Amino acid sequence: MTGDPAVQVTRLAAGYGGPPVLVDVTFAARPGERVAVLGPNGGGKSTLFRVLLGDLPAARGTAELLGRRGTVPQTERSRLDFPVSALDVALMGTLSRLPWWKRPGRDEHRRARDALAVVGLGDLAGASFGELSGGQRQRVLVARALVQEADVLLLDEPFSGVDEPTARQLEALFDRLAAEGRTLLMATHDLEQARAWDRVLCLNRRQIAFGPPDAVLTREVLEATYGGAVVTLPEGGEEAVLPAHHHEH
Amino acid sequence: MQATVALATPLAAIGDVFSLPFVQRGVVEVLLLAVGAGLLGTWIVLRGLAFYSHAVGTAAFPGLVVADGLGFAAPIGAFAAAALFAAAVGRLADSRRRGYDVVTALILVGALALGVILASDVFHSAANVETLLFGSLLVIDAGDLALAGATSALAVLATLALGRTWLASGFDADATRAIGMRSRAPDLILFALIALATVAALSAVGALLVSALFVVPAATVRLWTRRMLPWQIATVVLVAVEGVVGLWISVEWNAPPGAAIALLAGGVFAVAALAVTRARRPAVLVGGIVALAVVAGGCGAAGSSDGKPEVVATTTQIGDFARAVGGDAIDVHQILQPNTDPHDYEPRPADVQAAAGARLVLVNGDDLDVWAKKVVEEAGGHPAVLDLGTKVPVKRGSDPHWWHDPVNAQAAVSAVHDALVRADPGHRATFARNAAAYLRRVRALDAAIRACFTRIPASDRKLVTDHDAFGYFARRYGIDVVGAVIPSQTTQAQASAGDVARLDALIKREDVRAVFPESSLSPKLAQAIARDTGATARYTLYGDTLGPRGSAGATYLGMEAANARAMAQAFTGRPDACEGVRP
Repeated sequence: MTGDPAVQVTRLAAGYGGPPVLVDVTFAARPGERVAVLGPNGGGKSTLFRVLLGDLPAARGTAELLGRRGTVPQTERSRLDFPVSALDVALMGTLSRLPWWKRPGRDEHRRARDALAVVGLGDLAGASFGELSGGQRQRVLVARALVQEADVLLLDEPFSGVDEPTARQLEALFDRLAAEGRTLLMATHDLEQARAWDRVLCLNRRQIAFGPPDAVLTREVLEATYGGAVVTLPEGGEEAVLPAHHHEH
Repeated sequence: MQATVALATPLAAIGDVFSLPFVQRGVVEVLLLAVGAGLLGTWIVLRGLAFYSHAVGTAAFPGLVVADGLGFAAPIGAFAAAALFAAAVGRLADSRRRGYDVVTALILVGALALGVILASDVFHSAANVETLLFGSLLVIDAGDLALAGATSALAVLATLALGRTWLASGFDADATRAIGMRSRAPDLILFALIALATVAALSAVGALLVSALFVVPAATVRLWTRRMLPWQIATVVLVAVEGVVGLWISVEWNAPPGAAIALLAGGVFAVAALAVTRARRPAVLVGGIVALAVVAGGCGAAGSSDGKPEVVATTTQIGDFARAVGGDAIDVHQILQPNTDPHDYEPRPADVQAAAGARLVLVNGDDLDVWAKKVVEEAGGHPAVLDLGTKVPVKRGSDPHWWHDPVNAQAAVSAVHDALVRADPGHRATFARNAAAYLRRVRALDAAIRACFTRIPASDRKLVTDHDAFGYFARRYGIDVVGAVIPSQTTQAQASAGDVARLDALIKREDVRAVFPESSLSPKLAQAIARDTGATARYTLYGDTLGPRGSAGATYLGMEAANARAMAQAFTGRPDACEGVRP
């Protein structure tokens, strides 16, 4: 079981009707592996995620997933004024397992509450989603994916806009989910985060590199990924990426 | 003690209003509709479907035309068209890429265009279409109640079963497929249900009320609630309250109930929005509610009858006949007012009340005032109904404008006389004297018009009018109807470019000197044709209704005399032609 990759992408190209915006992507992730996907805006991170979610067909190549997939979108994309509680959002994860004409019952409510407890929000089940903090909303969406019993979780910049303690909490949660055998793919701008994960995939309209962080996160790769917008920080000599809005075309 | 009295009087007045049977049926209809409208309203607001819900009722138009043309029940045609509309929007709108608005607008334009073409060019006489869409809270029948109840029951069931799914797909549309909801069925059901509820409300209460019931109350409550269930419950309650209060205001003010409820709902929304933005100060809300209550309460009740027999007349000319024959012995309640198109009419509470208390109802018949039958049926009284269209000797197919032939007018006046005698035998002598005097004047006018037109060469007596309303007049006085701007006996059809071009050519070939706009219609097209052809559009005719008080056409005799003078002056080009033709 552990031998089979949970995600297997082979010579993938994808686009939106015109020429592909992402080409030559080939990588695999085993169950329990955490993969950070790095790249500039427009580099193809969300295109890859949409293909993995089954939302966009591959133009060439294949993208195969073993097991169920779950998505944890950026919470700003959800409608924060929506009249839903944390529990309501978690319950949305049960819908994929029910026939479309069935409403969630007692069992589904229990699973949603359990998932909220797992992400540490057991006592905020009744709170309005829009009134939660950014990190709490992120965790509610993780709970929704857990309720779906997702084997592969696609996380879209989960650390953007959350403070340091919250980021640590989320990081611990993701580690635990990976330890339980789930595969995590995270789109991110954050080099520090990426360094802490098992694998790094660098994209800039094509695949630049894939492998363990130590091997991948070299100056050459980062410059190819971010187009030369990499600076070396004085202390420790580590590379950092300039904030995205400084070097957007 | 004083406070009790002060409170008891308005309460008693409210009780009076709700003791009227037609008001009670309206209340039941509003309460039945409130459940479905409130529930679906929250989904409409949540999912951004306000424009869709407004459009789907309007898009029923081609279905109504086809139902009328092929002769099956109007609601079936409306439902079929609305369901097709729902399916088309549901299929074409990919919620993740573009909103529903663009697709809705595209299909709505298509549906309206199709309806106009069907009405104007396929089923040439679509005279009934507008009456099929007629609906008012004051004339609710058992079928309307059953439909409203069924719709509300379906809305409750669907909300229980599918509410979670509707919520999830609205929450983040991007993730709906990703979290495994691949079926389009729940959204299609939501569209279909909104279509059904809209058409049900449309046929029962009219187009204006649909948004007032379905969108405004849900949007109002949305300002204050942060959860689905309280939002839905409060919206149902608010729809019910606004509906009942609006109905009461409509009876007190004698306003159309649809408009009263829509205004009330809009006012409540404005007050609520203001209260929310103004730092949630309750004083503003209280002030607003007090202001609304004062406005609502400031109106007096309608005056009471003075014991004379009440006679209801649908059109202005029939009202004139009734007043001429009845004189001071009767009270005439005339439903249509001068310059109102009989095709666009929503009854007011006073109309229904008058029909409920009337001894005699006089209608034009020939599909001009089909709504009158419904008003009488639902009013709850038992008046005699006289269809004058069946009493006149000269008929042109289904052309309802029979009064433009004075021979018919004489027959109608005689029939009105007979019916008044039956309704109030005590005033037999008065009615006979009045009728005889009036008939003499009609005959004298008829002779004067005939004498005038015989002096005009037949080749000059060529008539082009706005819509085909003067066939009776033309036949009586030997006038050649060359054409009409709207080539139909209804004002609802539209002229095509080909129609206008043919008419232009005809006017030039026949050397027609004048095109006549009608007093109750827009003169634009007639004026444009006059410009193209060199004819004049200076003379206006009274077609469907009498003119307002003080105008030459304020009475039936004045109307026919004015029409005769206008035609004679246009035919001859002499501004003094037939000047002697006066009532």
